[in-house]
Amino acid sequence: MEEALLGIREVSKHFGGVYAVNGVSLDIKSGSIWGLVGPNGSGKTTLFNTVFGIHRPDEGAIYFNGNCISNLAPHQIYALGLVNAFQIPRLFSKLTVLDNMLVAARGHQGDGLLNSLFLRKSWQEQEAELADKAMEILELLELDHLALSSAGELSGGQRKLLEIGRGLMASPTLLLLDEPAAGVNPNLGRRIFEGIERLRQTMGLSFFIIEHRLEILFDFAHWVYVMDRGKIVIEGKPEEVVAAPVFYQVYLGE
Amino acid sequence: MDPLLYVFDLIVFIGIFSIVSLSLNLEFGFAGLANFGKVAFFLIGAYTYALLSQVGVPFYLCLVAGALISAIFGLVISLPALRLREDYLAIAILAFGEILRLIVKSEDWLAGGDWGVTVSPAISLVGASHRVDALINIALVYLCLFICFLVVQLLTNSPYGRVVRAIREDEVAAEALGKDKSKYKAQALMLGSAMTGIAGGLYAQYLQCVLPGMFMPMITFTVWIMVLLGGPANNWGALLGACLVEIFDRGTNIAKDYLTLPIDPSNLQYILFGALIIVVLLYRPQGLLKETQVRTKAMEMVRRGRSAVRNKGS
Repeated sequence: MEEALLGIREVSKHFGGVYAVNGVSLDIKSGSIWGLVGPNGSGKTTLFNTVFGIHRPDEGAIYFNGNCISNLAPHQIYALGLVNAFQIPRLFSKLTVLDNMLVAARGHQGDGLLNSLFLRKSWQEQEAELADKAMEILELLELDHLALSSAGELSGGQRKLLEIGRGLMASPTLLLLDEPAAGVNPNLGRRIFEGIERLRQTMGLSFFIIEHRLEILFDFAHWVYVMDRGKIVIEGKPEEVVAAPVFYQVYLGE
Repeated sequence: MDPLLYVFDLIVFIGIFSIVSLSLNLEFGFAGLANFGKVAFFLIGAYTYALLSQVGVPFYLCLVAGALISAIFGLVISLPALRLREDYLAIAILAFGEILRLIVKSEDWLAGGDWGVTVSPAISLVGASHRVDALINIALVYLCLFICFLVVQLLTNSPYGRVVRAIREDEVAAEALGKDKSKYKAQALMLGSAMTGIAGGLYAQYLQCVLPGMFMPMITFTVWIMVLLGGPANNWGALLGACLVEIFDRGTNIAKDYLTLPIDPSNLQYILFGALIIVVLLYRPQGLLKETQVRTKAMEMVRRGRSAVRNKGS
């Protein structure tokens, strides 16, 4: 069996006395789309935030590509190729849509103070390539016509798309997406997932996705984890999960 | 007094404070750092210049040393300060400036205490008139201003400037996109302090003395008004703000001699400054000039590409 890309081992995170995540272990392997579902408040987003270093796990360990990332800061985890797109978009409102994308680029030579000031030739070509790439992603997300508008002028759904776009811009190995299809129109929600599938096939990206729109997620995910009250209650292929009684108990509270 | 000299004097002051205003604009306008201790770095630059020139160091090295020492102080203060929230950072740096001023005031051995240090002018031509001296100062100050403006203009229209602005907008998101916020903030504070140090050195050599009383907290607030009025995150705005505030400062100084008021006329200036800042923040919070976009090759490409797409469509 190949080694997991992301390994979560017995991770717990509590706030005061409440265990938001309680002893979760799971594996994400390379090249697939992994789903994480569960009712509101079941700890999905907390798990993502813990993986991405916004919270530190109280117990357990997290491995990415063989490195232990439990105690790294978000920017260090990002540098390893694990990127997170927030559930509620956190855009740079006064920057243009294009600049929001370009900030996310990984390993831009011009990001350094001295390079930006004195070695301007060293990053001009990269800047142009990244602009091309940003526009390709924006086209996929149907935001290309807004590239030079401020991100603050976007509608709610467009913000959501830009948040995902920024995640893609980093060319991650694994992208964590928190409800990518929430708050966008039904057609676009599905098209986002088609785009995700295309990126998976062409660029070999892996995705770990929280999504309440199960009818879309289950068409694309290869493996689904179901979380309830901080724990993984069932996992399996979408059709297996759908057939399991515990899944209905969790969602419908029967 | 020679009216032309008065104008020259104004031009020199505008130049010096434009440098400080540009540096605060880099720190606050672009990087979002509420540096309420501008005067501290101004003081460091001035005293460094004064003390070094006393022992015979050439003026350009004094300026560079002032910039370096200011930058080091900027870095040192950034280490604890950047862990603080924005408002606490403001208070901490404000206190730092006052402490520094009180140290040079009370420690007589360091820089003459209350009596300060006399400074010889950077370039003095034998037998030159006051007007020529003033012109030499203008040339020196505006050369430094030009270099500083070039630096901030290049930086803010580069990937570095983009990252710094992103950190200002949302630190958590910028960190999640791989940007080490502490590093960028420390760099911005260092560079801003270095520029302020240069301005301090120019100030010292122009006034030919340094005294603790020249570095009151009011200087910090005056520079803040320049940036807020001109338009944060717009380098031209910083220049415009410096220009307007200096002229306003002189104007009220002259006007108060001709006015009979129920209050002490020297307070008029502070009252008007206060009113001005309230009016600006209420009715034009973005300042006179709006924030400029990050102008790089990427933006140019997309702008051209967009019009091409549009033409295809029609």
